[in-house]
Amino acid sequence: MSTVDVIGAVKRYGRVAALDEVSICFGDGEFFGLIGPSGSGKTTLLRAIAGFADLDAGEIRIDKQPVGDRPPHKRDIGMVFQNYALFPHLTVFENVAFGLSVRGRPKETMRKDVGAMLDLVRLSGFEARKPRQLSGGQQQRVALARALVTRPRVLLLDEPLGALDKRLRQEMQIELRLIQREVGITTIFVTHDQEEALTLSDRIAIFNEGKVVQIGAPGEVYERPRSAFAAGFLGDANLFQGAVLDARGVEIGGLGILRTADTLPAPGTHVSLAVRPEKIQVWVEGLATPGADLNRFKGRVQRAVYAGTNLTYKIEVGAHLVTVFEQNRAAHPLPVGTAVNVGWLPVHSVLVAA
Amino acid sequence: MRGFGIWAIRFYLALLLLFLYLPIVVMVLLAFNQSPLYELPIVWDTVWFQSLVHNDRLIRAGLNSVGLALANTLIATVLGTMTAIAFARYSFRGKALLELMLFPPITIPWLIIGTSMLIFFFWIGIGRGLHAMLLGHVALSMPYVIMVVGARLKGHGSALEEAAATLGASPWQAFWRVSLPVMAPGVVAASLFAFAVSFDQFVISYFLAPPGVSTLPVEIYAAIRKGFTPEINAISTIIILFSMGLMLLFARLYRFGGER
Amino acid sequence: MRHRRACAFRFSGGGYRMMQEARRRVAIGFLTAPAYVWLTVTVLLPLSAMLFFSFLTVAPIGGREAQFTPEHYLTFVDKEFYRTLTWRSLRLGFDVTLACVLIGYPAALALAKYVRGRWREAIFLLIVLPFWSNALVRTFSWTMVLREGGFLDRAIHWFSPDAPPFSMLFTYPAIVLGLVHSFLPYVILTCYISLEAIDDSLLEAARSLGANALQMFLRVMLPLSLPGLFAGVILTFIPVIGSFMEPRILGGRAGIMLGTVIEDQFTTVFNWPRGAALSFIMLGIVLLIFAASAPLLRGRLKGL
Repeated sequence: MSTVDVIGAVKRYGRVAALDEVSICFGDGEFFGLIGPSGSGKTTLLRAIAGFADLDAGEIRIDKQPVGDRPPHKRDIGMVFQNYALFPHLTVFENVAFGLSVRGRPKETMRKDVGAMLDLVRLSGFEARKPRQLSGGQQQRVALARALVTRPRVLLLDEPLGALDKRLRQEMQIELRLIQREVGITTIFVTHDQEEALTLSDRIAIFNEGKVVQIGAPGEVYERPRSAFAAGFLGDANLFQGAVLDARGVEIGGLGILRTADTLPAPGTHVSLAVRPEKIQVWVEGLATPGADLNRFKGRVQRAVYAGTNLTYKIEVGAHLVTVFEQNRAAHPLPVGTAVNVGWLPVHSVLVAA
Repeated sequence: MRGFGIWAIRFYLALLLLFLYLPIVVMVLLAFNQSPLYELPIVWDTVWFQSLVHNDRLIRAGLNSVGLALANTLIATVLGTMTAIAFARYSFRGKALLELMLFPPITIPWLIIGTSMLIFFFWIGIGRGLHAMLLGHVALSMPYVIMVVGARLKGHGSALEEAAATLGASPWQAFWRVSLPVMAPGVVAASLFAFAVSFDQFVISYFLAPPGVSTLPVEIYAAIRKGFTPEINAISTIIILFSMGLMLLFARLYRFGGER
Repeated sequence: MRHRRACAFRFSGGGYRMMQEARRRVAIGFLTAPAYVWLTVTVLLPLSAMLFFSFLTVAPIGGREAQFTPEHYLTFVDKEFYRTLTWRSLRLGFDVTLACVLIGYPAALALAKYVRGRWREAIFLLIVLPFWSNALVRTFSWTMVLREGGFLDRAIHWFSPDAPPFSMLFTYPAIVLGLVHSFLPYVILTCYISLEAIDDSLLEAARSLGANALQMFLRVMLPLSLPGLFAGVILTFIPVIGSFMEPRILGGRAGIMLGTVIEDQFTTVFNWPRGAALSFIMLGIVLLIFAASAPLLRGRLKGL
């Protein structure tokens, strides 16, 4: 039950800034996701919190105490590594008990705590096995148990589910969240899987080139991205650029006037608007049209991709190619070349910084 | 691959193995042959092995060889392991130079290394002897130890030590409880290597052997030059079976201790 | 950003880092210093001493006075004897290496691509084992086979009892045979490692693109296995030109090589400076070979 504060963290490797003035306050008991492309700095930050990377400037505090001069083994953290890093020469029991035995806990306590933890991760009975006898999912759970048994203040996860196949990953995501809720520990985890970040986290931070691009609850960050990068990284986005016409509309070349619910700057300013594909509706000319207040344009289907649960359309609208994401309600996609209308609510035109 | 092809390959490999083991087999058989002069048929006898027991020179040389090899193994393994750890975990100035210095023992002819040591040791007053041979053997064994231990360290990266640190282990604790046990099979295998390198070493020992002190290979060489006695056969048989046995052990350990 | 206001304090911590850096230096020093010292004393300094010696008239031991002279090097260049000698040694190196490659590469190929499972491991081990046995004893065992009254002699007489006694000992071919026997496993080893590392999918891709077996070999396998082959060639050639034990035991008087002459200087003739000079010339040849092949080996020697 601890807070972690990262204040103005800077870390340089040669001329490249892996962390460029990063500041995040991780709340007590929060499940916080760090996402971003490779090399964006998210793993560097995690390792800096753990103590494996020294900052060139800035500070990290756990429970309001600076930890910059404390080596990793004195920071009272728990960490799960990407490839689990289970000790190959020790049994499951010895692996999980390692943190306790290093602190000199008596045998009885160790047996009890390890037993309880293995129960929690549903691996009771596996005590005598060696890591190489376990499956990927089992190894991951042992790594988790090992990190948690010492009741650390913070739990750090470095792409913990990366090596698992899709089904197993989804199961583990649910389990991970349940365990975290039950234990109540502040958790920071790094992932490149956006879906995973959105489903698991209380809050997320998007990294790019060493900087934090946006922080917030998943809904907030997803629905209201503040930059083109955030819009494009977390899910898909159609981007439109043009000049502000009036208080509510933007003139988009080759398209028309796009209305938005966001506050626009002075007329004439160049802005970018992002529209998520799933917010756009498609209907055929002549059939019943949905609500009146939509941004509405005429277009032609250029491509339709059928993926079972959903359909993805690429629709030529004016000079633009718009991506639309629809639930598969009609059981077959609209044929290529169909003349259609596309429309979306003004509130879904999001003003983003270029 | 079609039938003929596979059999041609098997035949070729069989011939190859025949070539490789022919002289060894011949020598072993003759060691057990009663006749001192190659007379056939082979009469099974261990007389030559028995006479070895009374050959003081050979026994002393044998003890020297074993003692030297043991000392070499200890020193080379410790030094080599420490260096391998440094190579794997750190990058530092002078690393390239050290790596460069490790090359000569395995790449330039041992003749040159042996004679240069002879010159240098005489010059600075160390002279010849078992101590000089030890200096040479360790220099020769170190590169191999570093290679073997280094390979094992690479397989298990620093993630294990980091994990131990996150669990509260101080660097010393992490070393004792994680790094060392994980390294152990590699270190043991490397020490077998070092033993074999020293025990079988001829050239360096030859140049650094003063009159009256020698190792087994040097003694055998002198005996060969003087003239053939079947005792040489007997001691050679022992040596070769011992060396090969050692390497077999190494192969077993290296494979299975290394969880490849 | 909203959050920056809440956590708005900047501070940079330095003392711990400096201590860590110092600790790191100590650790590196502790770990590598012994090896450094040992190798300096046993490799670097001796070679330097030998270089120095090679320019002296006599060995300055036992109170003898020595002057600087390049005579030993000049003798090498002048006397035809030395040039013939060097040429013979190089020739020996070439013959042995060629034989090892011709015999060993196909064997490595067979093992890497056509033999599988337990057989492969077993045969591989059997091939490499003799390499790790005592070289002297191995060479000696060849005398049992090649000498008059030895295995070969007996085998020939078994087939044709009237043939004259046969001895291959004390001939040049005997030296080549003994050295090939010694270094063949090594060449097989290095070629095998290279060949085994070639992904089968590369070969399948070549086949699917229309290459027949020979083309696939020449255009894909051979080029990719060249690093291992080169390594084996160089690490065979160099020890062979420096060998003296095998030429003496198997070649006798026919086995006079640069190596044996150098050995003489130190053990019988006691002309150490000359021996040093000859050693250095040999070292020079070795370094030349390395320098010439370095660009070929450098980028591709990773796996070895």
